[in-house]
Amino acid sequence: MTPSASSGSDALIVASGLSKRFESLIAVDGVEFEVRRGEVFGFLGPNGAGKTSTMRMIGCTSPRTSGELRVMGMDPATHASEIKARLGVVPQADNLDIELTVRENLEMYARYFDVPRDTAAERIDELIDFVQLRDKATSKVDPLSGGMKRRLTIARALVNRPDLILLDEPTTGLDPQARHLVWERLYRLKQSGVTLVITTHYMDEAEQLCDRLVVMDKAKIVAEGSPRQLIERYSTREVLELRLTDPARKKLAASLDGLAERAEWLPDRVLLYTPSGDTALASIHERGIETDSALVRRATLEDVFLTITGRSLIE
Amino acid sequence: MRARKIVRRNWLVHWRSRRSSLLLSVLTPVMFLSAMGLGLGSLVQERNAFGGVEYAAFFATGILAASCMQTGFFSATYPVMSKITWQRNYEALVASPLSVRDIFLGELSWMGIVLAQLAIPFLAVMTLFGFVHSFAAVLAIPVVILLGLACAAATFAFTATLQTDEPFTWMFRFIVTPLFLLSGTFFPIAELPSWAQVLAHLTPLFHGVELVRMLTLYDLEVTALWHLTYLLVLLAAGIMLGIRNLERRLLP
Repeated sequence: MTPSASSGSDALIVASGLSKRFESLIAVDGVEFEVRRGEVFGFLGPNGAGKTSTMRMIGCTSPRTSGELRVMGMDPATHASEIKARLGVVPQADNLDIELTVRENLEMYARYFDVPRDTAAERIDELIDFVQLRDKATSKVDPLSGGMKRRLTIARALVNRPDLILLDEPTTGLDPQARHLVWERLYRLKQSGVTLVITTHYMDEAEQLCDRLVVMDKAKIVAEGSPRQLIERYSTREVLELRLTDPARKKLAASLDGLAERAEWLPDRVLLYTPSGDTALASIHERGIETDSALVRRATLEDVFLTITGRSLIE
Repeated sequence: MRARKIVRRNWLVHWRSRRSSLLLSVLTPVMFLSAMGLGLGSLVQERNAFGGVEYAAFFATGILAASCMQTGFFSATYPVMSKITWQRNYEALVASPLSVRDIFLGELSWMGIVLAQLAIPFLAVMTLFGFVHSFAAVLAIPVVILLGLACAAATFAFTATLQTDEPFTWMFRFIVTPLFLLSGTFFPIAELPSWAQVLAHLTPLFHGVELVRMLTLYDLEVTALWHLTYLLVLLAAGIMLGIRNLERRLLP
């Protein structure tokens, strides 16, 4: 393994000017980021922002068009097999082998990674317990629920004891119970020192799991930082959500001064970004504006996300 | 070779799902040869047109080669499409240290094993029926496997470029079936109009059938080398094109 030249030895992934082009479409446009050993790093962004393309370049399953990329100090263009041997990949949609049982899926995958048979058997036992599929070990994959399939896919990504795990939208399509179970397992992995790279468009997922993240929009990285930093930078501490009658709306619009740092007028609600929602609400009532309902909440990554990438629907 | 891991996986699946396949691969030639070969053969008294052998033996060799061709074509259509698009097995495989080359060669090796499971019992049944006239007939087994693999590799290369399975329908209708009928399977191509004879010479099945007949019924001739070269070149081209196309598909 050759140490990467551009950064400290604890950087597992280093990308600069990284681009991916499909004929006329620019999927990833000159992105720059660094993933450090032991952290959970997130790619956040709307559909089509370039998250999956970036992940696939890291996973050596899509050659980059231009720019630099080093994964564990190696170049995916020349050392794909060596890199992949130390990676765990959880793809966006499960691609389990439906003709095999739960256990066989893991056994077969361990073989693709040249894990010695005895080691594999022991490890697979641990993994089946880790993802709580003991009862289903001899079952075929097809009848499993979405959450179970996801957990099996995660277990499969762990058969080679990877240094780095890539998870592309790990909980998309799961019910809340299944999501929380997956998050909890991922958190345990993080605690055990594995580096995780996650793409998601669920803000709560990013907030729960990520130490650092980048927001991607239209093939570029538009913001970078920890969830806290991003909220501080792009939002206020609190958000006051108001539902108003039309006259009250007009009245509020006329006397907005000093109430909030920023206001957003949605068809059904008004959002006021403010350091203190209660204070803002009190002064609204002082100014004689009636509110149908008022909710004070902490700002979340969702506010950051919508501020940066806009509210218009991206399809 | 890491490609053998692919073979193991397929073996495991195959062994479980089709334990009866061995019985089937014996029964099929028995039925074919008794019904068509002996039944139809008893009506065909002509021997000169078939190089001095009885029609049933001529027919049996043709059907052996044609079945392998068909199996070769088929095994690289829907099953491969499924692993590319529907079940996306290959997507999971390329995320492991296996390369696209490993995947392609592994799958092709497995198809070779499937072809062997078809060809060996078939030839054994032919021997029991007395349709084999030479010990060289043993060599007909690698020949029909080569024929099937050449067709499979070329089809694999085609399948790797497809977005839907629709083209398979017309491929079977307009390519496989005419090949089946017009490559000297059921009657010597000398019976065809001359333009069709030229076409027949271009088909892989014709070369496979000719080789099989030389090995089982007639004497070997120098032209065997030409038939063999044709099949080897087709296989090599199919492998090269197939790996390239599958790489483009799996590593966009």
